Amino acid sequence: MPDYKIIVFLCNWGPHAAFQHLQDQGADIPSEIKMIRIPCSGRITKALLLRSFEMGADGVMLLGCQSGTCRYGSGTRSAHGNTSETCRILDLMGIGADRLQLDNFLPDRPQVLLARLQAFVRQIYEMGHSPILPHASVRGEAPAALTPEAIVAAHDVFACQDCGKCTSACSLALAGKPYSPREIANRIIAGRADDPDVRQAVNACLTCGLCYERCPSAVNFPAFIRSMRAYYHHHRLVEAPTHGGFFQSMMRAMTAENLLPRRWRDLPAEIRTRAGAPVLFFGGCAPYFDIFFNRFLGVQTARILEDSLRLLNFFDVEPAVLENETCCGHDLLWTGDRENFLRLARRNARAFADSGAGELVTACPECYHTLAHDYPENGVPLPLTVTHIHEFLEREIDKGAVGFKPLGATVTFQDACRQSRFDGRSDLPRKLLARMTGTELLEMPESGSGAVCCGNSAWTGCDAYSKSLQVKRITSARQTGSEVILTACPKCQIHLRCAMEDAMRAEDLQLETMDLTSAIARTIYWEGS
Amino acid sequence: MQKKIVITGFGGQGVVLAGRIVGKAAAIRDGLESTLVQSYGPESRGGACSAQVTIADRQINYPYIQHPDILVAMSQAGYEKYKALLIPEGILIVDQDLVTPEAGAGGFSVPSTRFAEEMGLKMIANIIMVGFFTAITDAITLEAARQTVRESVPKGTEEKNLKAFEKGWAYGRSSLKARAKKAAGQIGAFA
Ligand code: SF4
Ligand code: SF4
Ligand code: SF4
Repeated sequence: MPDYKIIVFLCNWGPHAAFQHLQDQGADIPSEIKMIRIPCSGRITKALLLRSFEMGADGVMLLGCQSGTCRYGSGTRSAHGNTSETCRILDLMGIGADRLQLDNFLPDRPQVLLARLQAFVRQIYEMGHSPILPHASVRGEAPAALTPEAIVAAHDVFACQDCGKCTSACSLALAGKPYSPREIANRIIAGRADDPDVRQAVNACLTCGLCYERCPSAVNFPAFIRSMRAYYHHHRLVEAPTHGGFFQSMMRAMTAENLLPRRWRDLPAEIRTRAGAPVLFFGGCAPYFDIFFNRFLGVQTARILEDSLRLLNFFDVEPAVLENETCCGHDLLWTGDRENFLRLARRNARAFADSGAGELVTACPECYHTLAHDYPENGVPLPLTVTHIHEFLEREIDKGAVGFKPLGATVTFQDACRQSRFDGRSDLPRKLLARMTGTELLEMPESGSGAVCCGNSAWTGCDAYSKSLQVKRITSARQTGSEVILTACPKCQIHLRCAMEDAMRAEDLQLETMDLTSAIARTIYWEGS
Repeated sequence: MQKKIVITGFGGQGVVLAGRIVGKAAAIRDGLESTLVQSYGPESRGGACSAQVTIADRQINYPYIQHPDILVAMSQAGYEKYKALLIPEGILIVDQDLVTPEAGAGGFSVPSTRFAEEMGLKMIANIIMVGFFTAITDAITLEAARQTVRESVPKGTEEKNLKAFEKGWAYGRSSLKARAKKAAGQIGAFA
């Protein structure tokens, strides 16, 4: 079976010497193996490992030095962490954890290495091809990218009065970055869209929407940025996303039709779901995030999904879940990859229709906005109504006979851009908070539709200014005197906790984070009359 | 089947209208027999006023109620007057903020006056109560009650009244659910 592709990353130090020995001897190295020399196995990031699969690898082996012999000191340890986390994500995605393996070799064991390689190739044969096929060409499916002139016209950027309100409101400018949305707009209008610094600026925008909120001419800057990113993407001029593009790779890989993720396998036994139910629950990417960030941040955003399911059960809704659920595609759309966004959207729309459900409940503001608005606006209407869990909770709690135990802490609330500004629903979480008797909300000076962004969006453009923005936000939250910052988006939680990791300022930046949905799940109870 | 219902409160709460809706729903929509006796005479001025509704699937020979199966009390005075007459296995329903039943009296409560105020119309507390009553007692069907509310309220106020009815009904269903959950020991989302 010559069409199998197996990548072996070999550390230049130990394993490569052994491999070279085999080559010198003319040993029977399987022909499917494509060997790549690397300086250290610890340098192969999760993004690179996943990228190999995205590019069509059937199996990947990472070979490093024996523990304790790595000349970089921590290489072997990093390789171990990266591989095991990527394996867990491959497993969740349905690619298969065994397709990625790590081993360690010293130069003096070439025969053992040969046997190991042969065994790995046999194992991959048994597993068959990876469900992910590299996309030969995806251009045909995508709407042709518009020219910058057409994009300017489509978003009526000419309406800009050059008043500068956007710049003075911009989250990035507030963080101290020399950054001006109106200037970017002006330069693109002036035909300079292809200048590298304009491109960089377009990439850096957080698409948080504060500028649009303030603009007297209703110039929708985030939507304009999104179209411009599609233009750059089309011309292969995109800037590198954060985390090596791991999440974008993951989302693109999920467009593969025969990929069968194993998404809900680890749900606690007491949570009840039911195939064929009229309500479908859509979870989103939180479990993947938790694996990816677990070593650094101790984030547990998958809890939000479990707690949402518990709350649905609490109100006697046993929802269906899609075992092979994929990402909603928010980040692909916002980084300009419309082709793959549309693939995911169509795949999801089919799966939703097949489920037979009439209502879809989601716990993430990005999923909600993408499914409820971006799908239909991009020609993928959904055969069911989309409800955000806050809306479901407000509807049920309003019927009465439920009460709340005090959370036991004062709280402040970080609005999610997609909910507060894009959907104009900053009232929803506050209604819920007002119902939570015994839990006091202390608002930050900027809140609701004027709230400052958590510092990043769509895993792109994270830089020192994002970090400074996060630090300011946490400081502002602490200044309210709150003990907990409640969030409404898994990414807000990740980003704020990322900033709290700062070793130099750890003391000043500690604040407990919790999702509002989890806070409700922990305190709600049936009230007897 | 025969259900004897007393709805009581003070003048102006719409107690009689509530009684009339319950009776009409049973007779006209659910195809049952019903009678209504209303009392807001001199003996009750400033005190309890009441509506006595009997619903049955056979002829009703005597419309006055000595021992109600269901007592709906929207005032403390009304509660005090009728509490001893409720049959032991009867259902007690009170307005949560206006009536404090004796310890151990059991029954159901709904903050109908508070809900009505929140909905911007104190006058609809009685309709909220009808919704709650419908959910808790099963004496009349949901559809019959809803239709009768629509036909019995002043023209132009139908939507507001129906919203009030739904509010009471939803609260009633939630209360029943809460009771069942508590009986089964599942009190919170984590229990
Ligand atoms: S706020 Fe609107 S009108 Fe004013 S400069 Fe910015 S984009 Fe132009
Ligand atoms: S969307 Fe946010 S980051 Fe981007 S220009 Fe507007 S305010 Fe600045
Ligand atoms: S804020 Fe933190 S988690 Fe977010 S992209 Fe930047 S480094 Fe990553």
